[in-house]
Amino acid sequence: MSSRDSRPSGRRQGLLAAGPSPLALIVLGAAVGLVLCAYTNALSREGGDPTQLVYWIGVLLIVVPIAARISMEDVSLRERFALVALFGLSLYAVKVIRDPFLFTFPDEPIHAYNANQAMIHHGLFNGNPILPVTSGYPGLASATSALMSLSGLSSFTAGVILIGLARLLLVLALFVLFTRVSGSHRLAGLAVVIYAGSSNFLYWGVQYSYESLSLPLLVAVLAAFAEREAAVPRLVRSWTVPIVLGTMAVVVTHHLTSYALVIVLVLLAVIYRLVRSPKPNPWPFAVFTAVLAGGWMLIAANNTVDYLDPVFSGAVTSIWNTVFGQSEARGLFESASTDLVYTTPFVARLITLGAVGFLFLGFLAGFRQVWARREKKPFVWLFCLGAAGFFATLALRFAPEAWETGNRAAMYLFIGLAFVVAYAALRLIRKGPRLLLRRAALLSAIGVVVIGGAIAGWPWDSQLAQPTRITADGAEIESEPITLARWIGEQLPGRKFAAADADARMILATGGARAKTGEALSIKTILEESSLINWELPSLRGNGLGYLVADRRKVSTDPGRGSFFYVPGSPKHALRPPATMHKFGEVPLARTYDSGNIVVFDLRNRP
Amino acid sequence: MRGHRDLKWVCVAAVAAALVACLVPWDVVRLLAALPLAVFLPGYAITVAAFGSKRLDPQRLAMLILLCGLSLLCLGGIVLNFLPGGLRTVTWALLLVLVVLAAARAAALRRLKPPARPSGWTRPRLRGADIACVVLAAVLLVGTLVFAYTPLPAGKAVGYSALWMLPSKDAADPALEVGVISAEHGRQHYRLEARIGENGKPKRYHLMLDPGEEQVIEVPLDAPAGKKSHVVVSLYDSDRPHQLYRRVTTWTAQPGEG
Repeated sequence: MSSRDSRPSGRRQGLLAAGPSPLALIVLGAAVGLVLCAYTNALSREGGDPTQLVYWIGVLLIVVPIAARISMEDVSLRERFALVALFGLSLYAVKVIRDPFLFTFPDEPIHAYNANQAMIHHGLFNGNPILPVTSGYPGLASATSALMSLSGLSSFTAGVILIGLARLLLVLALFVLFTRVSGSHRLAGLAVVIYAGSSNFLYWGVQYSYESLSLPLLVAVLAAFAEREAAVPRLVRSWTVPIVLGTMAVVVTHHLTSYALVIVLVLLAVIYRLVRSPKPNPWPFAVFTAVLAGGWMLIAANNTVDYLDPVFSGAVTSIWNTVFGQSEARGLFESASTDLVYTTPFVARLITLGAVGFLFLGFLAGFRQVWARREKKPFVWLFCLGAAGFFATLALRFAPEAWETGNRAAMYLFIGLAFVVAYAALRLIRKGPRLLLRRAALLSAIGVVVIGGAIAGWPWDSQLAQPTRITADGAEIESEPITLARWIGEQLPGRKFAAADADARMILATGGARAKTGEALSIKTILEESSLINWELPSLRGNGLGYLVADRRKVSTDPGRGSFFYVPGSPKHALRPPATMHKFGEVPLARTYDSGNIVVFDLRNRP
Repeated sequence: MRGHRDLKWVCVAAVAAALVACLVPWDVVRLLAALPLAVFLPGYAITVAAFGSKRLDPQRLAMLILLCGLSLLCLGGIVLNFLPGGLRTVTWALLLVLVVLAAARAAALRRLKPPARPSGWTRPRLRGADIACVVLAAVLLVGTLVFAYTPLPAGKAVGYSALWMLPSKDAADPALEVGVISAEHGRQHYRLEARIGENGKPKRYHLMLDPGEEQVIEVPLDAPAGKKSHVVVSLYDSDRPHQLYRRVTTWTAQPGEG
């Protein structure tokens, strides 16, 4: 490795030897940070409304000491490497202690169902009633089923371990990639810390979902590719093995990540040509990946286009309508769910806007650095393009149906941004007067960037844990949707249900039964309207559905908020009018299960 | 593989881990075997097979172990999916052991001579204060996890009761199973009324459930044979004995089907 690496002087080493090493203290600091996060989450799980300040202090106790140490000059490569691993795993633990009992993020139950089905049927490609496309990309289900088979663990525990390993791979691969491209492990470490400012780093990117596994694999493939480019000729073929293996794994795990890999490799091939790089052009890898991704889509996942087409065409239409004033722009920091809109407090908005501001300044300063060095490395060009692309995706947040596309794309583009901003960060803390002040400014900015990213990526009201399993008189009780799902698992396994989004997800993951939801078969309309149209229930029956789950809670259509205990007084716990429930009794249909807000109707049982 | 101590250990560990995963009944022990078997051992074996005698530094080695190990898990299931037996404990264990053995053999062949040192990693020197800090951090972490995994009381969360009714699977005579699940905050007394047919006399049951408890009672169907009966089961709680709390219904001659 060509990285610069200096060691502490003998005198300083002697002084340090008297107490614990900085690394040990940082490990302790991270543990204390996790205690604070767990404490705040516990208060929130009790149904209270704790101040999030303590929680964010906990996150900062993990981030800032690591950032401070990693940005120092006299830190060995090995220590930086350990810090990067600690950083990734500690922030992952923040998410794990938020959801200790079961999967509550929107995509998690869908993938847990796939893994459970793989265990039941001893095979993959079993279909998925809510998100059929996931069944065609069984990489995550395959890996989870391996851990479940060999250890006897549930899909929840196996999934938590697997995504933890993926998160570790992500930070290590970023570190290796940035080190190889920049030649400095100090810059690489800083860039990894800055990458945590990506809006999906803290929560969305570590939910049990196929993209949480495929993105780390993609970064590791790129890191291996960068290493291959720098390797001596006899090792070029050695690096090809992990590249090919990783590429195949990406292709069978997630559609968009495999297309992102194709785009990256094509861009690299073009850049190689533009900069007249003496290294062999990577177009064969681009073609190989494109053929694999295209072939997989045609052979194993031919419903991918049906899934992606509405997402992208909706995004394009939404951008068009927003730009030309045909529809209202989306309000920033607003999370809409059914007819409820959740807002973010002013200070949190300020932090997020501050984060974007810091990143933009960092981008300008970092880009200037790169430009001044007349960098000809194709990866540096690629990162600069990605960094610029990130700011373009911010505009998508104003278009109602395009913001999610922009948010998801940012996960990839932020890799480039983190690298470019790290140049600016290093420049800021170069040797000179008022270094302490400049270091403090950098660490403050990193704190703002990481917290701002987390606020931008996940709704403010959902940052902390909500009650799913609580104690009452010493016994454990679970929320209404979870109790329903467990009852279905015991009493009606294998049956087919129509349900609201949150309920359907719980029925899939916890109950193991099949459930359809959303716009499919007009289920959303049927559940929300006050009266029924003649064809609606026969249509459900005709499509093989045996039961209908009616839920009066408005949050039942929100997969991120609808699985928790009902806590009155909060706007998100509003109820639909009684008529939405009574209309099924007027048909009449048999009521098989009744827990107050949730009633299960038997579609076939009539007078 | 003579002389290649690392490869020998990897192969032995893979076989031992596979046996533990397949034969030991305790999940915790199986997990300790499953993680190396599923990720680290195949990842290491494939990496050293690819790089032969080239010694990788720890950060690249760690990245490649995870990359190759996780990639193999993603792809292995697809291979097993099309083989007899499918995805099972034995087939996964067999596949992973075979990959480790084959990759280790390839690595041994590619290496010109046994490496002088088994790995490029030198053990870090730990001081007493460091150990104390790390132990304290580990204690805090374990405490945090235990605390996070412990359900807590939540007074503001609204408790509830669930009532359900399904045809009895076990009863000799036609009957219905009626269940009451209590997720209330304290012990709850209920009155349950089952009315079979429009003019049937209600059967009354009194239940007392603690939080988290479920009670199932069998309600015999004494309606005339072949006649469709409307069964209505109502639940009242003792706090509001005249106000209907939960209700389930069915028509007995037409059992539900999903």
